[in-house]
Amino acid sequence: MDKALIPEGLKRCPLPVFGIWALILLAIIGWGVGAGAMVLLKALNVTGLNDYFGFGAYITVDLAIIALGAGAFFSGFLYYGLSRFFPALKELYKIINLAVIIGFVCYTGAIVILLLEIGQPVRGWFPYWHANVHSMLTEVIFCITCYAIVLLIEYVPIILENRKLQEHKAVRVFGHSLHDCMAIFALTGTFLSFFHQGSLGGVAGVLFARPFAFRGGFFIWPWTFFLFILSAIASGPAFTALVCRAIEKVSRKKLVDYSVYELIGKIVAGLLSFYIVLKIIDTLYWAFVQSPEFGFTLGDFYHGSAYGIWLLITEIIICGVIPAAVLLTPKGRKNSFLLFLMFFLDIVGVSLNRYVMTVQAIAAPVMPFDKWEVYMPTVYEVAPSLAMLAYCVLIISLSYRYLPLFPREKELNAVYK
Amino acid sequence: MAGAVGGTLLSPLPWKLTDDAAIWSQNWFWRPSPARGEITRKPTVCALCEGGCGVQARLVDGKRAILLEGNPNHPVNQGGICALGAAGLQFLYAPYRIAQPLKQTKRRGDPTGFQPIAWNEAVGELAKKLGQMRADGKPNGLAGITRRRCSSMDALLNQFFAAYGSPNLFKMPAHADSLKLAGAVTTGREAPFGCNIEDAPYILSFGAGLVEGWGSPGRMQAAFRRWRQGGKSAAKIVQVDSRCSTTAAMADRWIAVPPGTEAALALGIAHLMVKDKLYDAEFMADRVFGFEDWTDSQGKNHKGFKFLVQTDAYTPEAISKLTGVDPAKIRELAKEFGTQKGAVAVWGQPQGSVPKDMYNELSFLALNALKGNIKAGGAIGLAPEVPLGALPELPGDPSALKGLKQLRLDLASSQKGPPPVLPGNNLHGFLDAVSNGGKYPIEVMLVHEANPAYGLCENKLFQQALTKIGTLVSLSSYMDETAQQADLILPIHTAFEGFDDVIGIPGAPYAYYGVCAPVLKPHLNTKAAGDIVMSVAKQLGGSIAAALPWASHEEYLKKRAEGLAASARGALADKKGVELWKLQPEEAVKPNYKDGADLWKKLAGGACWYDAPVDPLKDLKTESGKFELAAQLLLAKGQTGDDDQVYLPHFSQVPPRGSDKDYPLLLVTYQMSALADRDLANPPFMTKTVFDFILRQNDQFVEINPATASELGMAEGDSAVLKTPQGEVPVRVHLYAGARPKVVYLAQGLGHKAYDEYIKDKGVNANGVVEVQLDRVTGLGTVWAARAHLRRA
Amino acid sequence: MSDTGHSEGKLRYGMVIDLDKCTGCMACSVACQAENNISFRADESNKLRSITWMEIYHLNNGKGYPDYQFAYLPRPCMHCDAPHHSPCTFVCPVNATTRDERNGLVTHIYPRCIGCRYCMVACPYHARDFNWWDPAWPKPMESMLSPEVSPRMRGVVEKCTFCSHRMMKARSKAYLDKADLEAVEYTPACAEACPTKAITFGNIRDANSEVGKLIKDPRAFRILAKLHTEPKVYYLSGHEWVRKQADNVVKG
Repeated sequence: MDKALIPEGLKRCPLPVFGIWALILLAIIGWGVGAGAMVLLKALNVTGLNDYFGFGAYITVDLAIIALGAGAFFSGFLYYGLSRFFPALKELYKIINLAVIIGFVCYTGAIVILLLEIGQPVRGWFPYWHANVHSMLTEVIFCITCYAIVLLIEYVPIILENRKLQEHKAVRVFGHSLHDCMAIFALTGTFLSFFHQGSLGGVAGVLFARPFAFRGGFFIWPWTFFLFILSAIASGPAFTALVCRAIEKVSRKKLVDYSVYELIGKIVAGLLSFYIVLKIIDTLYWAFVQSPEFGFTLGDFYHGSAYGIWLLITEIIICGVIPAAVLLTPKGRKNSFLLFLMFFLDIVGVSLNRYVMTVQAIAAPVMPFDKWEVYMPTVYEVAPSLAMLAYCVLIISLSYRYLPLFPREKELNAVYK
Repeated sequence: MAGAVGGTLLSPLPWKLTDDAAIWSQNWFWRPSPARGEITRKPTVCALCEGGCGVQARLVDGKRAILLEGNPNHPVNQGGICALGAAGLQFLYAPYRIAQPLKQTKRRGDPTGFQPIAWNEAVGELAKKLGQMRADGKPNGLAGITRRRCSSMDALLNQFFAAYGSPNLFKMPAHADSLKLAGAVTTGREAPFGCNIEDAPYILSFGAGLVEGWGSPGRMQAAFRRWRQGGKSAAKIVQVDSRCSTTAAMADRWIAVPPGTEAALALGIAHLMVKDKLYDAEFMADRVFGFEDWTDSQGKNHKGFKFLVQTDAYTPEAISKLTGVDPAKIRELAKEFGTQKGAVAVWGQPQGSVPKDMYNELSFLALNALKGNIKAGGAIGLAPEVPLGALPELPGDPSALKGLKQLRLDLASSQKGPPPVLPGNNLHGFLDAVSNGGKYPIEVMLVHEANPAYGLCENKLFQQALTKIGTLVSLSSYMDETAQQADLILPIHTAFEGFDDVIGIPGAPYAYYGVCAPVLKPHLNTKAAGDIVMSVAKQLGGSIAAALPWASHEEYLKKRAEGLAASARGALADKKGVELWKLQPEEAVKPNYKDGADLWKKLAGGACWYDAPVDPLKDLKTESGKFELAAQLLLAKGQTGDDDQVYLPHFSQVPPRGSDKDYPLLLVTYQMSALADRDLANPPFMTKTVFDFILRQNDQFVEINPATASELGMAEGDSAVLKTPQGEVPVRVHLYAGARPKVVYLAQGLGHKAYDEYIKDKGVNANGVVEVQLDRVTGLGTVWAARAHLRRA
Repeated sequence: MSDTGHSEGKLRYGMVIDLDKCTGCMACSVACQAENNISFRADESNKLRSITWMEIYHLNNGKGYPDYQFAYLPRPCMHCDAPHHSPCTFVCPVNATTRDERNGLVTHIYPRCIGCRYCMVACPYHARDFNWWDPAWPKPMESMLSPEVSPRMRGVVEKCTFCSHRMMKARSKAYLDKADLEAVEYTPACAEACPTKAITFGNIRDANSEVGKLIKDPRAFRILAKLHTEPKVYYLSGHEWVRKQADNVVKG
């Protein structure tokens, strides 16, 4: 049966090896599900959260994973939307399936974590019913669920390409017609995702009584709204590329042409440079104009080792300026080690940004007689987060094993046979 | 299958379930839904402490009490309430209430050994035992400890003990014990001094925890409100304190001195007032004895206070050496105090639970005397007596007389040195005598509404004494540390369920009487303490029954109120605007009640009775007929000493036990208004407000100065062991810049070993590590500091 | 509507707390707990998980012995009057917390709250507490629960309401008496309990009310006024070092 499901002409590892791999992932998932069940049963007191840290690991992981999942919508946007005007982008079809799957797993995983995060999960549907249109979180919840549905629709045709499923005519026809209108979904998804990457940024940026997080902005959107979009599209494709590279390494196969990585490198370089310039401007304005108006200096926002200024330097310089600079040079993109290292730094930087805007933003005391507190997640936060990652890996593994994800795989590996 | 899913989705089922889910999440079956009902208010007087505040309980359908609030018509607290009062109902509904009479059937202290017994059995057993003791001619083998010194329960117990024939009735120690004796020494009247503090323009407080409570928290908070009206300091408060206490922080000025040297500073100020002639010369000449040199009845000449205080011992330089206060600052203070009209000096611990050394009392009184404060219209007065109905005369029963002829045990068997010349309520001495196998054994000990096993300073004395006591009978509402040790528990109503009363406000110069009326029916099988004592008396019969002739505790209180009405004195405060501090001494207050029944009705309705202060110098019963700075009473009682200062206010300090080398630090314990100590457990509401630098999980913090901490190599939050000659306890360290270097400060009120999970095992009991020094004059157990050692744990 | 974004009614309930009169006796905090059925646990020493609507802060002047001084600062919910929205009401995704523009009270509907804690994050005063546990009372103490305030469930946020149930009661009475609803006066439990009357409550829009006069006192200040949250809780202090701790000040 296993053999029969594997796409034609492709070689996959033996079932027992894959089985062990899947079991490891399932064990992690089981551990996380168990921890998650305890959270639901015993309430959130088992976490490291408290009245000072209303947000913590759950939200950070959600924000980061959604930013990285942005490769899906952005690649879709480039491929379905812009390749008409820039034929070079047509190349992206070689990796678009993977991007869609990454997007799908990231978003669905994030929703599950969100359910753990709220104190009353059975009331999780209230935001639709009692929506407060002013709240960035309302926007987030609407977009995240809508986009998850879109991603599911985008994922379905890929599943339908499975060899066994293709044997049924109805499936074939359905899959094809879905393929035909994929551009519409991709663009809808792009709109939704742009919007909600932004609203995630807005979550922090609108906190007008939290000087660390608060930013001015354009109309109702704070600058973090745009910065989050930019940083997400600057890191999402990098993440997709990195995952693809990881699959190549694990399966010891060549799956896409190196030129695709270079293309992504070029795209990331441009976006990241643009982002980091704006981020630096934003940071300077925040540090030297806005904060003093609220009575703060930059030093007031950083404290001890957990919340030291190293966070800012790492995020902007090491994980922002350096990868942008390296990726801008053709030499940097040519060197595969450098290319993927810079992708990795990019991802770390964006994740760090999400952490800083969530946890450090509330760790910094606002009342003058308040004091710094340190947040430490417990196993009940770590386990579900890891389980969510394991879930992502499992779905990607299954998809890779049983679905023809990479259109060039057969050709690229033929020579080595 | 798809059809089934589709069908289900189209049916109302999922939507109904979703909707229900939201409702379920609101009303889990374990979440209590308080029953609705008519909300009413019932005014009464609070009996949680001696403060005499007027409160009102908010009731639902008259069955549940949900909140205690201040009574705005009450003149003492004027609508405010303290934290203990606001949390007061948590005592009524405490899980550690005792629900029925219990008898210990196993070893003493074994919680599994308590067996419920019927009331008549329990009372019968006690009466039988007491009857036997009396028949054996040993009624003096009965002892008692009560907390309710300012209540008719005190008189009732006195009557019972006297009729039964035992001299061994004690009260939990209080500052009033030593103040009363100071009253006896200086005015010949054994009444505590009070202070008209509300109207004082300048208050020089020697460690008095004014805003922490000082006798009556409700009264003091209301006074503080007056002093700080409209952002202006209507009264200037100068706080002399070793630690930056709340009063020190709230004062206009804080004078930091080493612990126990407050009286030295007082005498240093007196020195300058005498030297610079800033004292009330006319008053000192006409009304005070012993200011100048004096001659006793034997014709012997003695030096007076004027001479003593002028000696080198009290010069600003000498006092500065002792207290660390700059001589210039002492001069400034003396000038301020001496020249400010109406300035008054006050002293005594926050909630007044510790007596003071006699010479300390006399020194502070001397400072007030110099100021002319101790006269009619002055700030300092003697607490007036409340003319309540008298109890029946005792018939002079021979068995009782025989017991009463026996000396009180502490006096009968003091093996350590000569007995005190002016013995007071020497509970410590008594317990010491019991544990050392006193002259006669104590067979039955009654503990009424008190928790000496926890709340007595150096509480191990009680534990030690207990091993020598035949039967411990507890009249308590709560399963506290003492009740746990009892052989027989007779559970009593809380003040919210039965009648009780409050006689006088501690520290106040005016007369006061309030009745605590029940706000709702008792919900447990408890009785009023008075009813228990009366039924024991009835079973004992004869002269004892005759001495307590009332049908019930309520009737007894009614009779007391009738007596009050018969005196035709004082008036009821039943509406806003009665300003007790405006009453002039000996002012004739026009009664506004008709008769005894009317008075009782209004008292039981929450109104209180008050009367004007007395002139402290009227009909002085001293030998000289004047206010005696030189205490001829002490001379008459046989006080001897090397020089004349033994009859005069002077500064003396008995060093605490142990050596400087083993114990380089001093331990001082302090009271907080938001932490109930002594006889009541801190209720959960209040424990919630305790700062996390005082209690974290079960660890209690001691305060030390950052400099001391760095000498000891300790940092904030470090675990340490606090050791005093009395014992050692685990603590954690809080660096507090308001703590005096080399002194360790420990809050009182934690470290319970009884009650429930909300208070049990939290922190350490300060009473276990403090040191009690018996005052040489009165024998009272005084506390100022213990030597201490702090090491890393 | 005005340019401040909310209707310029006559009524804005506010509070003035005189720190020179506050002795840290905790009566307000305890009365608040009793009045509002606030749950308590065996260990309440972790202040980051303790539900306290009226929290008392311990401020000090930062000096050493014997120049050290401290003051207590009670902190209820500030019921921020910032234009359009309070920091917390702005972010609630489900409209569980809203500001009543008729009187300025920031309320919280517990059965609607999903427990996302976004409002807690938005509030710089730490005025909001989360129910980390199922609230539970020792059996006998359930008798003490007030029927006027519903006990909360786990997983929702709660905070000081300025005793809005007392306001509703006073309003109902005024309605029946055909009195002016905008002139309704009431007192929250903390202000009523305060034994030194350090807490004054009333309509800050009414210049003749006690609070209306007090907020013009030279000692008056608000916490974090620079953030434009427009708190309706004012403080009074005669000590400069206390007033200085109201707002962050960039040194130099």
